[in-house]
Amino acid sequence: MEETNRTAAGEKSAERRVIIRTVGLKKIYTMNNVTTEALRGVDMSIFQGEFISVMGPSGSGKSTFFNMIGALDSPSIGRVFIDEVDVAQLTAEELAFLRCHKIGYIFQSYNLIRYMTALENVTTPMAFGGVQPDEARERGMNILDLVGLKERWHHRPIEMSGGQQQRVAIARSLANDPSVLLCDEPTANLDLHTGQEILDILKRLNVEKGVTVICATHDHRMMNICDRLMWIRDGRIDRIANREDVHIEVGGIEGH
Amino acid sequence: MKEINIAEQPWLSLKRTVKITIDGIRYRLFRATVTVAVIVVAVAFLMNILAESLIKRAVAADTRERSDNAQLNSNWSTKLTSTGSPESIVAELARLDASADVNVETRNFIRLPDDDFARLQSTARDVQYVLDFFDDLDYAKRRDLIKTAAGLEILDYLARPENFDTFKLGLDRYRMIRFEMDFDKLQKLIGQRADFRRTLADIIAKRHEANAKITAYLKAEYKDNPTLVNDADRLAMAMTDADGKFGDVIRSAGFNFDAKRIAPIVADQAKNQQFILRMKFSITGASNKTRQLLAQEANKIPSDINEAIMWDYLESASFAKRYIQVMQESGMDTASLTPELLVKLAKARKETAALARAKRLTMDSGKGFMGLGERLAYLLVVSFLVCGIGITNAMMMSVTERFTEIATLKCLGALDGFIMIMFVLESCIMGIVGGTIGAIIGAVIGTGRMMASFGVNFFAAIPVLDIFGGILISILLGTLLAAFAAVVPSFKAARLAPMEAMRVE
Ligand SMILES: Nc1ncnc2c1ncn2[C@@H]1O[C@H](COP(=O)(O)OP(=O)(O)O)[C@@H](O)[C@H]1O
Ligand SMILES: [Mg+2]
Repeated sequence: MEETNRTAAGEKSAERRVIIRTVGLKKIYTMNNVTTEALRGVDMSIFQGEFISVMGPSGSGKSTFFNMIGALDSPSIGRVFIDEVDVAQLTAEELAFLRCHKIGYIFQSYNLIRYMTALENVTTPMAFGGVQPDEARERGMNILDLVGLKERWHHRPIEMSGGQQQRVAIARSLANDPSVLLCDEPTANLDLHTGQEILDILKRLNVEKGVTVICATHDHRMMNICDRLMWIRDGRIDRIANREDVHIEVGGIEGH
Repeated sequence: MKEINIAEQPWLSLKRTVKITIDGIRYRLFRATVTVAVIVVAVAFLMNILAESLIKRAVAADTRERSDNAQLNSNWSTKLTSTGSPESIVAELARLDASADVNVETRNFIRLPDDDFARLQSTARDVQYVLDFFDDLDYAKRRDLIKTAAGLEILDYLARPENFDTFKLGLDRYRMIRFEMDFDKLQKLIGQRADFRRTLADIIAKRHEANAKITAYLKAEYKDNPTLVNDADRLAMAMTDADGKFGDVIRSAGFNFDAKRIAPIVADQAKNQQFILRMKFSITGASNKTRQLLAQEANKIPSDINEAIMWDYLESASFAKRYIQVMQESGMDTASLTPELLVKLAKARKETAALARAKRLTMDSGKGFMGLGERLAYLLVVSFLVCGIGITNAMMMSVTERFTEIATLKCLGALDGFIMIMFVLESCIMGIVGGTIGAIIGAVIGTGRMMASFGVNFFAAIPVLDIFGGILISILLGTLLAAFAAVVPSFKAARLAPMEAMRVE
């Protein structure tokens, strides 16, 4: 369990637990006889409690990576371990449990359920997890309070701005107290200011609750708040670095 | 420190499942309405055809009995004056069983013992088969096989060996036609034809004698009545007494004329016919007064007035009363005519017309699937297919366009089973709502259309229970189809990995 990370050296790595690990991860999409190799062998370890940014130009394979480590899609080759459990070995029920309790997902397009109010969106994962309605309601309101939307609990997604919807999505991802938050370009559809708010919330969750945050993005502000950065290029890891190291060579990065 | 400790996911409570499903439907009310509308139309179409079929079948059964009764007088009048042709006697012997009135009569006429009569009937059935076989052929083929021979002549024609060979060769050529009787039997039948014809001639002769007795009686009975000019007039008048003395005469001539059940109906119909004749005379006869009264009432010129218009107006008792008065004033015979009687006759006349129309409309009923007749059974199958395809398409669309939602729910930890249940529940709700509305609309339209074509006289013949059963079956069918159509795509969607589902357009 106490495995050291060979690819990215951080001084804390020796004492920290690996929560997600990928081995030789490859994904090949086949569509109308055209095959696209979206991931070409990714080995990566993510530590408990860290905030990691996955950066790269669009089409580089960020979302694909995100889906693999979130157990939302199966790799063509290679393995994904979540807390040293091989995802490929899990039954459909266990996968549902994993998605329900252990991982929170945040998407670029929010993906709220349109016919549910903000509160219902937040309490649905709780219901799937077996929480009683009264308790779910109370916990849901607390979480909405956390993202600053307590007053809007009865609004439907269509009645809210993009930033508000994304905050509901964050609240929903927190419903069952997950260990990992997976965000796929959470700020891409938002203006600068709103995007910053979302980033602040994510950072706060990371610091205060110790949630591991994995964020696919090409928002450069992410560099200011994350612990580690990982660059993907054409389906391969281009580079992994700690934030402190990156700041020193900021000029170089802008070129990417 | 958080640990991932993978356990199995519990099932969501039914209450919560139903709530989520209904919220989903309510939110997408417009889309759901469109889907339901498709189900409504499909089920209504099916139910419409079903209701019409059921009503037609019921009316056909009702009509057969009522029109058989309605024609008793005219059937008996024909029988008492004409013997029928050899072919029509063959048909009676072949198609009705030995206990039918006409066959009992025939047996009495020619005094055959039971066994012999059974043999006669069996021969008649074989002959009838041959006649029917040729009648069903189209003209060209028939000509090819037996030239222009018709009726019993066919047997004479086939009696010549060269003709028989041509017939056999012809059958070989037309592979589509099947002649079920074997040739030896046909040869035997041909050999018996002379005997058979003699028997038929005997029957005709005996019937002729019986008819002659009737005619003789009529001549004697009405020799002093100058208004009855011919045999038919005299018979029509005598029939009014069919439940009395004339009935005895008919029976003594050898006819099997049921005094209890048949005779009163015949007498009644004959009386009505006499009244009708008198009324007809009131409009076509010399007097113009009745004509003028009608013209005034109908707002037409007197020359346009005809018997049909008269009967239309006579359905009203107050008009009938005035009409009788006018008849009296112009010196016509109004004995035993009452307004009530005229109203009754007018209605009966309409009923007869309605019966004739109903009989025509239900001609193909009684055969085929469920006794619906070929055309309706075919329509029913087609409408079932249309219903099935329409609902399947609507449900598949409504599941497919929600793949993103399915994927999102799976990201939140929904079990595959929950997604299936949600969609099947949704389609069941839509199926029940759409099916109920559709079945009722279909039944109402079907009943309305049938009543419009048959007339309200047949209101009592509507098979209410059958239609109610049909409604239940249609609802069930609509619901099952909807549920089944939703199962396939939602099963597919539920089993996909969330991202695969999200990618499906
Ligand atoms: N469902 C798919 N079918 C075929 N190719 C795909 C599919 N999803 C992604 N790709 C391809 O895989 C590559 C990586 O895509 P993606 O992971 O979405 O990149 P990013 O999120 O970094 O923009 C791209 O070339 C994209 O075209
Ligand atoms: Mg992407």
